[in-house]
Amino acid sequence: MKKLQTVLLAALMLLMSGMLFASGGQEAPAAEDGMEKVKAGFVYIGPAGDFGWTYAHDQGRLFAEAELPWLETITVESVPEGDAVRFIDRMVQEQKCDVIFTTSFGYMDDTVAVAAKYPDVKFYHASGFKRTPNMGTYMGDMYQIYYLNGLIAGAMTKSNKIGYVAAFPIPELFRHMNAFALGIKEVNPEATVSVKWIYAWYGPDKAREASEALIAEGCDVLGFTEDTPTVVEVAQEHMDKGNEVYALSHYSPMQSYGEDACVTGQLTDWGVLYKQMLMDYKANPEADLTNYDLLWLMKENAVELGGTWEDKINPKYVDTLKGIAVDSADFGSISVYDLVMKRYEQMDAGRDVFDPFTGPIYDQAGNMTIAEGEVASIGHLFADMMYQVDNFITPLPQQ
Amino acid sequence: MPLQTLPREKTTPRFTVLVLLLSLLAGLCAVGIVFLTYGVNPFFAIYEIFRSSFGSAFGFKETLTKAIPLIFIGSGLALAYKAKFWNIGAESQLLWGAIFATWIGLNWGPHLPGPVIIPLMFLGGFIGGALWGIIPAVFKVKFGINEVISTLMLNYVAAEFVKYLVVGPWKGATKYGYPYTDDLPDHAILKLMEYSRISIPLLIFSVLVALTLCFVVYRTRFGYEVRVIGENSEAGKYAGIDFFKTTVLMMAISGGVAGLAGVGELTAIHKHLSYPETISAGYGFTAIIVAWLGRLNPGFAILSGLFFAGIIVGGDAIQMSMGLPAATVNVFNGLILVFLIMGDFLLSHRIVYKRRAK
Repeated sequence: MKKLQTVLLAALMLLMSGMLFASGGQEAPAAEDGMEKVKAGFVYIGPAGDFGWTYAHDQGRLFAEAELPWLETITVESVPEGDAVRFIDRMVQEQKCDVIFTTSFGYMDDTVAVAAKYPDVKFYHASGFKRTPNMGTYMGDMYQIYYLNGLIAGAMTKSNKIGYVAAFPIPELFRHMNAFALGIKEVNPEATVSVKWIYAWYGPDKAREASEALIAEGCDVLGFTEDTPTVVEVAQEHMDKGNEVYALSHYSPMQSYGEDACVTGQLTDWGVLYKQMLMDYKANPEADLTNYDLLWLMKENAVELGGTWEDKINPKYVDTLKGIAVDSADFGSISVYDLVMKRYEQMDAGRDVFDPFTGPIYDQAGNMTIAEGEVASIGHLFADMMYQVDNFITPLPQQ
Repeated sequence: MPLQTLPREKTTPRFTVLVLLLSLLAGLCAVGIVFLTYGVNPFFAIYEIFRSSFGSAFGFKETLTKAIPLIFIGSGLALAYKAKFWNIGAESQLLWGAIFATWIGLNWGPHLPGPVIIPLMFLGGFIGGALWGIIPAVFKVKFGINEVISTLMLNYVAAEFVKYLVVGPWKGATKYGYPYTDDLPDHAILKLMEYSRISIPLLIFSVLVALTLCFVVYRTRFGYEVRVIGENSEAGKYAGIDFFKTTVLMMAISGGVAGLAGVGELTAIHKHLSYPETISAGYGFTAIIVAWLGRLNPGFAILSGLFFAGIIVGGDAIQMSMGLPAATVNVFNGLILVFLIMGDFLLSHRIVYKRRAK
C-alpha cells in the first residue's frame, strides 16, 4: 500500500514537471513579417456551432481572416446578454484587441459602457442603433428576404395558419415578422400568423416545444428566429410522418436539415460586412464612428434568399409555386414564383424601387402606422417598430 | 473479488491533505485527456487556466469577482452538508435572494438613501434565501421527503418564477422588450474597484460570513448539534437534540447566505433582475464542489472558492486564446468533483487486496 502510494506520487510529480516544461515551450508566436497586425475580438451570443446566427457570424469572421492577411481574430462564444463586460474586459486588457465586434442586440448597452471605458479601442455592434465616437453599428438585414419568404409561405399554406417561433420582442423581430406577414397578406389575405415567444436566442428545446405547439394549433408553415435548425427539423419530422408542414431556413443554409420541409429561407453573408469594416478601420484607425452605420440589404449583397446558397427556392417546390397564380396590383395575374422573382429584382435594385413597408400599414389595433404611399424610415424600422401588423392573431407579449 | 473495501477508522490530517491533492491531480489528468482529444496540449491548457486566473493582475481581479458568490454559497452549503443535509438548491436560494433584493431596490430604492437601502436589500435577500431553504428542511423532518430531490426540484420552480417575473409583471420599461427588470437606482448599486468588478466591502463581507459560519460550526452549541446530526443522528436523538429546530435553523442560514450571494450578484454585477441563468451562472452548483473541496469546513470554503473561481475564469481565457468550446469549464468542474468524491471514499474506506486462497 505504502509502496503503491509512493509510485503513484512519483508518477504524478513527473507529470507535473512535464506540465511546466511543456508550458514553457508554447509561449509567444514567431516574429511577425513586418505587417502591422490588427487583432479583432468577436463576442458571440450562442455557440459557434449553432448553425444559425452565430455560425453565420463565425463564417463571416473566417472569410475576413482569409481575405485580410493582417487580421488576427479571437472569439468567445455563449456570452450571456448582460454579462458581456467581463469578456470584453479580457479581450481588451489581456488579449490586447484593437477592434471588438459584439454580435447581438442585447449587448448594446454593455458595448456603449465599454466603449466609454476604453476610448482607444473601436467597437462595432451588430443590429443596434446606439453609436459613440468609438462605437459603430452594422447589420446585414433581411427584412426584404422575409417579405419574399412571406409570399411563398402565403402560397404554400393549406390551413391558412402560419406559425412563427420568435426569440425576443424587440424591433428587429417585429421588423422581420411584419415583413413576413406583409408578404403573406399580399398573396393570401385570408391567412393569419400566430407567434410563440421563447425568450431565447439559442434554445433548441424551447424552439421544439413552440413549433410542436404551433403545428398542433393547425399551422402548416413555420418561420422562426432562433439560432438552431430545430424548427426545420421538427417540420421535417412531421413531413416524414406524412403530415404536410413547411419551414423556412433562418440565417444559415439549413435546407439539409429538412430536404422536404424547407421551402426557402433567409441567408446573411456577414463576411463582406466584416471585411468592409476591418478595411475601413485599417485605413483610418482614428476615425470617428458616431455616424458609422453599415446597414446592408439586398442591394449590397449582404443577404440572400434561399435555404442553401445554390437555390433561391427548394427545387422540389419550384413547379408548385409556378402553378399557383395570384392577382397582383403591380403585375396583374402572375404565378407566385414569378412574383417572388420580380420582387427580388426590384428590391435588389434598392429601397427606392420597392419596399414591403410601403403604406398604408396598420397594426393589430387598427392604427395606421405607415401612411398611404409612404415608405417607412430606417428609424421607424430599426428602433420604433414595436407592433405587429394586422394579420397577426396572437397578441403582443406583455410590455 | 480480490479487492475488498473496509471502513477506515482513523485518518491523520496529513493523509487527508495527501488524498485531497492526489484526487485533484488525478482529476487534472482526466481533464488533460479531454483536452488531448480536442487536439490541445493538456499541460499547456491547464497551465494557461491557472496562469490567466491567478498569474495576471486582470485575471486575479476576475477570480476574486467570481469567488465572492462561491464563498458565500460554499460556506453555507458546508454547514448544511455537515449535518448530511444535501442541499442541492443553493441555485434557487440565490435567486430568491435576488428576487427579494430587486423588489426592495426597485420599490423602496427611490425613497431611501444608499446606506439604508443596500443593507435592507441584503437583509431582504437573506430572508428570501432562508425562506426558500426552510421549505425542504420542513419537508424532510416532518414528512421524510428526500432533500436531494426537493431542493433540486425547487431550483426549477424558482428559475421558472424568475422567468415569469422578468417576462411578465416586472419587465422593465427601458429594456427594449428584453426580459429584464429596470435597473436599480444608482445609489442602490455597489461601488466597484476601478478597472474591476469587485466590490471590496462585498468581498470582505463574504469572507466574514464564511469565518463566522466556521466559528458557528466548531465553537457553538448549535454547530455541535449540527455535527452530531450529521455524524450520528441516533446519538443525537438520545442527547435530546431538537431535530426540527436545528434543521430548520441550519437551512435558514444555508439558504440565507446563498441569498446574500444573489444580492451581491444583483447589486454589483447585473444591476437588474434578468434570466436565472444570467443572474447565477451556476454558482449554486459549482459551490457544491467548493464546499466539498473545503472538506465541509466553512472557513476552507474561502480557499476552495478562490480555486474554483480561478477555474471558471481560466475557462473563459482558454476559450479565447485556444478556441476551446465554452462547455470545457463544465467538463473540468464535473471531472474534478468526481475525483474529489472518489478521494473522499478512500478517506473513509480502506481498499484491501486479497490473494485468493487455495
